[in-house]
Amino acid sequence: MPDLTKPTQAWTLTWDADWVTSVAFIGATRKVAAGNNLGGILVWDLPEKPGGDAPKPTLRLDGHTNCVSKLAATPDGKTLLSASYDHTVRLWDTSTAPTGEEKLVLNAMAIADAERRKNNGAKVPPAMPATVGVVKASTAFEAHKEWVVNLELTRDGKTVITGDDGGHVIIWDRESKAIQKRWQVKGWAYALALSPDKKQACVGERFPLVFDGGRHAAIKLWDASTGEATKDLSAEFKGMHMAAAAYSLDGKVLAVGRGGESDGGSGSVTLLDPTNGKKIKALTPGHISGLTDMAFHPDGKHLASAGRDTIVRIWEVATGKLVSEVGKSRGGQFKDWIHAVSWSADGAWLAAADMAGAVQVWHFAG
Amino acid sequence: MKPFCRTGDHLSRRAFLKGAAVSGGGLVLPNWGGLAHAKTAAEIATKAKKRCILLWMNGGASQIDTFDMKPGRTTGGPFRPIQSKVTGLQVCEYLPKVAAVADKLAVIRSMQTHSPDHPDGIYHMHTCYKMSERTPHPELGAVIAKYNGDLGSDLPTFVRMGSCGNAGSGYLGPAHEPFSLGRDGKLGSFSTPYLADDAEKKRADLFRFVESEFAVDHKAEPFASHRTAKERAWRLLRAKAVFDISKEWPTAKERYGDSDFGRGCLMARKLVEAGVPFVEVGQENYDSHADNFVCHKANMQLLDPAYSGLLTDLSERGLLKDTLVIWMGEVGRTPGINNRAGRDHFIRAWTTVLAGGGIVGGQVYGSTDADGKDVKENPVSEGDLFATIYKALGINHRAKHLTGVRPVWLTPEGSQPVKELLG
Repeated sequence: MPDLTKPTQAWTLTWDADWVTSVAFIGATRKVAAGNNLGGILVWDLPEKPGGDAPKPTLRLDGHTNCVSKLAATPDGKTLLSASYDHTVRLWDTSTAPTGEEKLVLNAMAIADAERRKNNGAKVPPAMPATVGVVKASTAFEAHKEWVVNLELTRDGKTVITGDDGGHVIIWDRESKAIQKRWQVKGWAYALALSPDKKQACVGERFPLVFDGGRHAAIKLWDASTGEATKDLSAEFKGMHMAAAAYSLDGKVLAVGRGGESDGGSGSVTLLDPTNGKKIKALTPGHISGLTDMAFHPDGKHLASAGRDTIVRIWEVATGKLVSEVGKSRGGQFKDWIHAVSWSADGAWLAAADMAGAVQVWHFAG
Repeated sequence: MKPFCRTGDHLSRRAFLKGAAVSGGGLVLPNWGGLAHAKTAAEIATKAKKRCILLWMNGGASQIDTFDMKPGRTTGGPFRPIQSKVTGLQVCEYLPKVAAVADKLAVIRSMQTHSPDHPDGIYHMHTCYKMSERTPHPELGAVIAKYNGDLGSDLPTFVRMGSCGNAGSGYLGPAHEPFSLGRDGKLGSFSTPYLADDAEKKRADLFRFVESEFAVDHKAEPFASHRTAKERAWRLLRAKAVFDISKEWPTAKERYGDSDFGRGCLMARKLVEAGVPFVEVGQENYDSHADNFVCHKANMQLLDPAYSGLLTDLSERGLLKDTLVIWMGEVGRTPGINNRAGRDHFIRAWTTVLAGGGIVGGQVYGSTDADGKDVKENPVSEGDLFATIYKALGINHRAKHLTGVRPVWLTPEGSQPVKELLG
């Protein structure tokens, strides 16, 4: 078993074309995919052991035309799903052969920035070239008419829940692409999770005005088969915009996390009993300026949370104890975010989507 | 003894003679007579001087995310442009209703201003002078109230709601100070008399009697000001029905959008229709140093129906040709997107929009470079914008006033109206 108390940074996978906004390990393979703010997706093959030069990406998946908000892969690693602000969810067959090659400079922005500031003494870094195979073939879920801001795939890889800024929540059968259920919430769907038995969904809503009377925040539990709200938790979390939600592997714990810089200073995780919505415990400290993503560890006993404080925290679910912190706060008002996190299937690797233009990969020796 | 102001003394004579009428929504407005009737009101309003509604984007709206989009550039952000009704004018995908009335808009993409922060920017974009000057300059609203308003009206001449200007009437004096409503356009609770009508009237009569006796031997300006303010407050109470949109709102909210800002815009339309020369409606939430895109997306979903609804409503009532509608804030926002997903303040190249009275719609004036970082052609300063606004409203932008013995002008020396924008 990996020792989650001892993270070591394996590599920084530079890709500074824009913010890296999403990340996912692909099944039990050594592949990790990341999406960015422009709609690009790159795939890396990670070495077996940490250390050495950072690997270069091998594939680029072309199709999205706007921010990739979320990635998820089936447990067999055959399909990668990507949600985007371009209103689509794309499904990528990971065995599809590239139709061409393209050369990238992974640190092109850093070079351009330094060139601009050269007269002030900025040092231009050496280029980090890479050659990637380009895959263009994908299929799509196309029922959304707004930014698809969240997506979750059940652990059996068969059912997908997606939510958009029009407040539409859709449950899909992945293979047939059939819509099993859809409903609309009052605000924009934000946090989203589907229980392992697929009977319950948790949806956090927002309409992110700061001062106007039209501001809206809610979090509810829904019957996923009927699309009826079964429990309104909004009073418990009054005025809070929940950015992420996740059910534990056994479905006995629901974690929700508060996000959004303008929504308050502390983006903390709260563990709930999904049968009644009661609070089990709050995990402290929270992520300063807001939480962005959460992922349960494959052992079912730990949870990773990431936030706008550029820290990933690993928690023991049963006790609420903070096991370790991965990464450090970059501090100050003008810093970056960790947008998303993903565990490898063996639980020994953690990948984080870093707004600064990289995927951070951490290793936990066992 | 001085004569008292009596009920009706300060109503428009024309309106008063028409007697009580029923508004389009069926509302009986006995104190307002014909003013509440849309057609009559439009007739009266068009014979009066021009009016102005300022839609104030408090905090500073992003030009790149609204009216000067840069798709495909690193500064562009996630919003996509849509084609408006006007060739060459694309607007944000979240302003589809505004796009449909773009033939009424004159979009100035080349604002180049001088005050980068909120208090000084708010002051500067309400007065066209820097806040650091010692002279207390009047806001746009106070100037328009002075030149185009009727101080004898029961209604205030300068009304605002939400977060707006910070300069007040400046050297124009207390007669032109703004009258503030709630963010949703509602009158404050102070406007509800706590006495019955008869008792209130007796009390007012007594006050007037005492005041008039007092005034014989006390002629100082502050005493007169106090009496004037009191009289205006009473007159306002008589006109209170104008501030009630409860009957119109159930249908109007379809057009204006069900928001505080939408209600404010409907109230603005109603007030200019009733003869108020200047109304400012503030919309909050634009100061998006973090989460710029979700903030703007939410804001635009309120702005789009309210702004387009206001223009359409004014147009349908025949009021738009004499009502200038300004869309602006104190600053624009940086083309560069910071690492809080925000845009910061930017004054080197940003956008304001004019529509209606005296303005040639369906045009874009000025332009910015490919990334929106600088003005490419036809820079417009605060003074030029205000000169254009005053010219459109029939006010001499170089009108001279005195503060003490010092002469001051409505716009700074060298300010010129942008003639291409004026009809």
